[in-house]
Amino acid sequence: MTARAVTSLGFGLGLRPQHYPAILDGAPEVDWFEILSENYMVDGGRPLAKLMAVRARYPMVMHGVSLSIGSTDPIDRDYLARLKALAVRVEPAIISDHLCWTGIAGLNMHDLLPLPLTEEALKHVCARVDQVQSFMGRPIALENASTYVTFAEDAIPEWEFLAEMARRTGCRLLLDVNNVYVSAFNHDFRATDYIDAIPRDAVAYIHLAGHEHNKTYIIDTHDHPVVEDVWQLYAYAIRRLGPVATMIERDDKIPPLEELTAELAHAREVAKAALGQRPQVA
Amino acid sequence: MDLLRTERAFQDGLLGRSQDILQQVRGNARETAETMFGIYRNAYWARLVESLGIDFPGLKALMGDQGFDRMARAYIARHPSQHPSIRWAGRNLAAFLAAEAPYRDDPWFADMARFDWALAFAFDAPDAPAAGLADLAGVPPEFWGSVRLRFHPTLDAFRIATPVDEARPRLIENADIALDHAARCERAVMAWRIEYDVKFRAIDLLEHAALQAMRDGATFGDMCELVAREIDPDAAPLRTAQILQGWLEWGIVATVGHDGLGSAA
Repeated sequence: MTARAVTSLGFGLGLRPQHYPAILDGAPEVDWFEILSENYMVDGGRPLAKLMAVRARYPMVMHGVSLSIGSTDPIDRDYLARLKALAVRVEPAIISDHLCWTGIAGLNMHDLLPLPLTEEALKHVCARVDQVQSFMGRPIALENASTYVTFAEDAIPEWEFLAEMARRTGCRLLLDVNNVYVSAFNHDFRATDYIDAIPRDAVAYIHLAGHEHNKTYIIDTHDHPVVEDVWQLYAYAIRRLGPVATMIERDDKIPPLEELTAELAHAREVAKAALGQRPQVA
Repeated sequence: MDLLRTERAFQDGLLGRSQDILQQVRGNARETAETMFGIYRNAYWARLVESLGIDFPGLKALMGDQGFDRMARAYIARHPSQHPSIRWAGRNLAAFLAAEAPYRDDPWFADMARFDWALAFAFDAPDAPAAGLADLAGVPPEFWGSVRLRFHPTLDAFRIATPVDEARPRLIENADIALDHAARCERAVMAWRIEYDVKFRAIDLLEHAALQAMRDGATFGDMCELVAREIDPDAAPLRTAQILQGWLEWGIVATVGHDGLGSAA
């Protein structure tokens, strides 16, 4: 998947079961859908039937939460085999997961847990990205997760960690602009420094989402519309990166589809305006 | 390996087994490491409790929100999730409720969990066509005794000691209905899926025994003998035929095989 082909995806939404009827009965203004891979790693029934009905009409991206690329447990080959089988079925434009770990000792915490940002962790992650990409036969994209703690042993800024991971493995990046904003607030760094350090050619697509601001910290809840500050950061990212496929995630308090397509229309406007302000690059 | 030590301390912190991770993580200029790590710890438990509530709506209605929350936390502490999909986190819940005090003292809990789980299983188990009566009609009479059935892959069947099959729909509609926890029954329930619709049906213990035997590879001849041992032998042929007819009409049979085909189903 080249950067140019990914760019052509346009503007997408996360596929949620609540919206199946509106998607299948109408023709919503959505260029593509991102699916949560684990929700469709099942053997049959309504989930797979609906998935394929939507797939017949829209391009798709597969987005997982259990790859656990940073775990010190061995890579779960059974999980990878199921992921690959789903990819054969869905033929996704991109397969993504997160720069995180989800558990060790055979357990799954079902959360995107932070990694200490050390050279040891970087080497470990890169070796596993190589394994996964080799097994899948294609590059994967990894997303920057929202984090709530940092580690005393951190030695590399997260943005450098991501950039170096992409350089060493050839993996793509899923830039979650909301997560950059959340982590920047939680850890007192400048969000624009993060965006500035992301290698342009590595970005496969962008996530946007809402969050919950608790005054002293922010939680990445995906249960609100995108806030103005994040729109501004998105515009900043587009000015720097150029046109990048973009999507909005909503995982809780899910509104009717038309509310999300209206929000997506706003994303198109923000991106269009940002591209118009983009300095010409030789 | 430092990464392994860090991840172990982090996970132990989430599970409430150790606080060592607080020496290794930082909060921010406004909040302590303890508060910020608490976001992860709280999310871990809350996410699993919520997921179990979605997968076990009958049990949640039966126990009430607070009772379910308390039980779910005890279950999660005993059986942390081991599957990449949170959908499977509840696979040991019925057994947990049957074995652990105080839940084991009220069989409604384990029965309801078993029932919820069967319905959830049927929802996304593998697709397969269902055989019908026509498949049986095609069996030459001389091969009837050798008939073997392969059941639909969504089928689950189990005994219940409490009438959860009757109570569950009413409880889900209104969790406040009065329930007689002393009520008992002797029957079984089967759950399966036709196309995308999950079905369930109560069956008596004889039919359940016949179903179990056929699922384990018994022939129709074996099933006839089993039924004849349990009821008036004169009534057994009709009863056996009725059971078989019901299975085919309900769509719980995937294929009908017999020795005349060269290989059994």
